[in-house]
Amino acid sequence: MKPIKDVIRRRKRWDAIFAVCGLLALMVGVLTFVALFLDMALDGVGRLSWDFFTSFPSRRPGQAGILSAWVGSTLVMLTTAFFAVPLGVAAGVYLEEYAAKNWVTDVIEINITNLAGVPSIVYGLLALGLFVYQFGFGQSILSAGLTLALLILPVVIVATREAIRSIPQAVREGSYALGATQWQTVRYHILPYSSAGILTGVIIGMARAIGETAPVITIGALTFIAFLPPAPVQAEPPFVSFEWLLSPFSVMPIQMFNWTSRPEAAFHANAAAAGFVLVLMTLAMNGLAIWLRYRLRRNIKW
Amino acid sequence: MSEVLTTKAEARKLSFYYGDFRALKGISMSVHERKVTALIGPSGCGKSTFLRCFNRMHDLYPGNRYEGEILLHPDNANLLARGVDPIEVRMRIGMVFQKPNPFPKTVFENVAYGLRVRGESSRRRIEEKVEQSLQDAALWDEVKDRLHQPAYNLSGGQQQRLCIARALATDPELLLFDEPTSALDPIATASIEELMHDLKERVTILIVTHNMQQAARVSDFTAYMYLGDLIEFGVTDELFIKPKMKQTEDYITGRFG
Amino acid sequence: MTDHASKQYDLDLDSIRSRVLAMGGLVEAQIRRAIDALSTGNVALSEEVIEGDHKVNAMEVSLDEDCSQLIVRRQPAAGDLRMIFSIMKTVTDLERIGDEAQKIARMAKNIHERGGPQAPPVVEVRHAAEAAISMLRRTLDCFARLDTDGAEEVIRDDAGIDTEFRSILRQLITYMMEDPRTISTSLEIVWIAKAIERIGDHAKNMAEYVIYIVKGTDVRHTGQMRGTPTLDA
Repeated sequence: MKPIKDVIRRRKRWDAIFAVCGLLALMVGVLTFVALFLDMALDGVGRLSWDFFTSFPSRRPGQAGILSAWVGSTLVMLTTAFFAVPLGVAAGVYLEEYAAKNWVTDVIEINITNLAGVPSIVYGLLALGLFVYQFGFGQSILSAGLTLALLILPVVIVATREAIRSIPQAVREGSYALGATQWQTVRYHILPYSSAGILTGVIIGMARAIGETAPVITIGALTFIAFLPPAPVQAEPPFVSFEWLLSPFSVMPIQMFNWTSRPEAAFHANAAAAGFVLVLMTLAMNGLAIWLRYRLRRNIKW
Repeated sequence: MSEVLTTKAEARKLSFYYGDFRALKGISMSVHERKVTALIGPSGCGKSTFLRCFNRMHDLYPGNRYEGEILLHPDNANLLARGVDPIEVRMRIGMVFQKPNPFPKTVFENVAYGLRVRGESSRRRIEEKVEQSLQDAALWDEVKDRLHQPAYNLSGGQQQRLCIARALATDPELLLFDEPTSALDPIATASIEELMHDLKERVTILIVTHNMQQAARVSDFTAYMYLGDLIEFGVTDELFIKPKMKQTEDYITGRFG
Repeated sequence: MTDHASKQYDLDLDSIRSRVLAMGGLVEAQIRRAIDALSTGNVALSEEVIEGDHKVNAMEVSLDEDCSQLIVRRQPAAGDLRMIFSIMKTVTDLERIGDEAQKIARMAKNIHERGGPQAPPVVEVRHAAEAAISMLRRTLDCFARLDTDGAEEVIRDDAGIDTEFRSILRQLITYMMEDPRTISTSLEIVWIAKAIERIGDHAKNMAEYVIYIVKGTDVRHTGQMRGTPTLDA
């Protein structure tokens, strides 16, 4: 019978070996990202300036800017959120709280999971046929918003369902035992307690959507836009306008793509700078998600 | 027992099915008004199942079926009748659960929830009722300075009393306790038992407990159940000193199994 | 009865029950020896009995302690509760019987140390004592077997001992009137007879507890078991 100390020492050695392997695997991913990011930053940081953010694209690289691109991205994100959040949350709540557990529900669930695996360019084609031509929205922010909303819908639905599932049954029973209806329970308990998870899912979905290029190109986002969509708020009545929804537009990834395909090296610097900004925007959104989740989960302990 | 007993609720040939499995086998039993009735029995005997029939909690889950009647007096209403809305039943009958389950809201909001659900909007009335309920649950003095703090900051015993206050806020006619102290330490348990003693002056209580000594301490009537049958029902003192059925005797003397 | 789920509980209960029976046996022996000491005039035997009461008392203390522990640990209910309750009361009655045996031995010692004319009705006294010992033995037996019929018989027989006591009393009064020199000794025999009568009462009490254990009905002081009504004795 080997002395216990030897046995333990050997097992601990395997512990250490596995820890090191795990760390190395992690480092591969992290270092790759850091390397790419630094490379892009080094190329592009020089181009960052107030002019860069406030100028339209131009044939002269020195004067080109990302104004229309980031405004377009922002407006498209707003539209995406506007559609994705209510639809996704409502669908998630329905599936978790209202749907009966039968084969119909199972079929619906399978379909939603499949949606997440559909290649994004297929969404683009669907949108082209449906939104751009059939509904007549044209190559506009509205179409892009709707397309990307469909794209991230599964993410929102799954996030909603997971957040709702983490609510213990005891809370629901407590609510029902006091004579609450299903809607009252959803409104006063289910939604408030799952809001952290839902919000996190929404933001993560949006962080993905902001970088989606293929579907947006397919529905016809333009690569050279030298104007901004009409402002939503005006001085004259009616004070709020929705014309911007139907206007042509561009987004950040497309602008980057456009610049990288030009031969002049200076445009590559522009592309790097734009990429840098885009990554920062994505990181900021993820950071916001983490912070919001922390804030909203503070009161919930289960 | 020489005093007059009125029946508050009555189960008549109550059977219950989880799918095909018959969990309750034709139980008939009376619950007397303003008395504490205890349900005891080994695990799986159906006492919690029986309790949850009274406030139709089984309706929340698919595949369940009731047979028989539960009558609520004085209006002789059958709670299990087809046309009866479970929500209405739960407005008259309250429940306190095994593990304290306060909502992740403030103390005040926890107690006020039942009132809001009924559409009560007057702030003054809600505040009065919240204070009254917390007093009745012997919790007011401990929480009056922290009504708007999270309920989760309270200790286990306080949380359970909060749940009792929450159930009391809606003036239930019958209060169901599902093993209310099994997750609490002895001192918290004792305070809840004290509370039950005071509460029974106002409201009828039906309690499920796996702790026989607790049943002997708090209840006026005890029912012993086994595998879905009601084996014996009687005055608590008599049942614990001189049970009529051998099965009851075997269970309460630990000869069971 | 089936066993408890806890084996230790059964062991504890059995241990207590057998020690109760042992105490009963000890006490029975005490009575017998005290009566022998009375008949034979063996002063040494009397002193043995007097000393022997310490052992009886020690058993009472030890059994009461064990019963208390059982109550604290097991919180007995129903039949077990009635059993422990009855055991504690039986132990008290047994200890009192032990005291009565000690008194008999003391009186016997006094009588024989004093010498002088012996009071005749020793035969009746012996007979009454045998009856009392029989009651004691039978009630212990009924306790061991939880036999309620036997217990009811014991309860009824108590009337017989009361009758014998009164008869002995009458005889002694006659003797005392005939020969005043026998008064001291006769009085001592009265106390002895009284002690025997009390032993009978204690045995009857123990029988009533047996009925309580088995049936759950408390038949004490009800007079429903007694065959004949008794005068105040």
